Amino acid sequence: MSLTLVIGNKNYSSWSLRPWIAMKAANIPFKEVLIPLYLPGSKEQILSHSPGGKVPILIDGDQPVWESLSILEYLAEKFPDAKLWPSDARARSHARSVSTEMHAGFVPLRNHCTMNLWLPPKPRPETHTPEVMENLARIETIWGDCVKRYGGPFLFGKTYGNADAMYAPVVARFHNYGLPVNAVTRAYMDAVMALPAWREWYDAAMKETWIMQHNEPDWPLVRGRAVTAPV
Amino acid sequence: MLTLVIGNKNYSSWSLRPWIAMTAAGIPFEERLVPFETPEFRLEAGPAAKVPLLIDGDIRIWESLAILEYLAETFPAARLWPADAAARAHARAIASEMHAGFTGLRGHLPVNFARKVMKRPLTPQAAADVARIEAMWAQCRARFGGPFLFGTAFGAADAMYAPVVSRFVTYAVDVSRETRAYMDAVIALPAWTQWRDAAVKEPWLFAEDEVDWPQVHRA
Repeated sequence: MSLTLVIGNKNYSSWSLRPWIAMKAANIPFKEVLIPLYLPGSKEQILSHSPGGKVPILIDGDQPVWESLSILEYLAEKFPDAKLWPSDARARSHARSVSTEMHAGFVPLRNHCTMNLWLPPKPRPETHTPEVMENLARIETIWGDCVKRYGGPFLFGKTYGNADAMYAPVVARFHNYGLPVNAVTRAYMDAVMALPAWREWYDAAMKETWIMQHNEPDWPLVRGRAVTAPV
Repeated sequence: MLTLVIGNKNYSSWSLRPWIAMTAAGIPFEERLVPFETPEFRLEAGPAAKVPLLIDGDIRIWESLAILEYLAETFPAARLWPADAAARAHARAIASEMHAGFTGLRGHLPVNFARKVMKRPLTPQAAADVARIEAMWAQCRARFGGPFLFGTAFGAADAMYAPVVSRFVTYAVDVSRETRAYMDAVIALPAWTQWRDAAVKEPWLFAEDEVDWPQVHRA
């Protein structure tokens, strides 16, 4: 039985990116269904796949699995060879702590620096609020600690896994909003952005045409150009 | 021996989750309660400066959901997740949905065991959260037979929603008979009574969690 992953717009849907990049990086085959968000009928389309009404949704046979984190747990169980969680119990518990911390936390960063891959990358100091800078400091501590303990280039060693996938949207946020990151953080971001899976998602995002004004900090500039047509 | 570091029982919704899961499953542990906003809290609360924190030898696990995953792996006989893969996927999905969501409900109805049971009108966001939770609980109990969400064992998914049961009780939220039956099953657990009895005896008051502030209503 093949897997189907229901996702939102690639340019904006940070939660969709997580299972998508984990599956691509691990070579897990799946069919992608993309539902552009916040258009007439979007909500109904999503609800037809899952009662939570949110993307991403993984469908395996007749069982829908929703929420990025539980999808990653499901994939880790179903594809043990992909090593999405570290095989060592102690490292695995660490990976789950940092993944769940991301899942429920870092609200200021998520609100001020919404994921927007086509946003021209540059420092955007108006988004670097004290709360965002606190989030940055905590994430740099987490990443620095992981890379040091497990040797990098990814958080838990050589394999790009679930914890990395949970933080993939953060890499984009740091990059596009030009947060002042340290060298270890930058090296980790570069390792993630060099993945063919990252490139594939990014290239597809660049081809999208749906614009969400509330996620465009330079509005009425989008991708560096004035938007003239109503959206 | 495991150690579970928790916050105040009256207010710490996140601490309740692993505590009630472990107590209901008979997993032995030492409890270390560190009241919020004390030097002791800052010292004990671990890498993310948050409770709960589970300590197993030199392993420290933070975040309620990560702790439940660790317990499920370490104590498979406790069956904190359902044995069936599809049911387990369902349980993890609703546990994650709780972990990151329902902010309308959480903000409007903070956990406060000691507050006198009194109705608080719902905001539209809180009402939408209640509707979603009622639908989810009903679906689980219909599919897996109850009395708990995934059958006869109180598990990790139930533990994730234990604070919601408390919120529904404290603020006299109007719920269906089906929802009430689930709440009654949770409230009937000896572990629930044990936590609540300790919670109502605590001396600490937090204005931000007392929705009637400057009044504090106690039973």
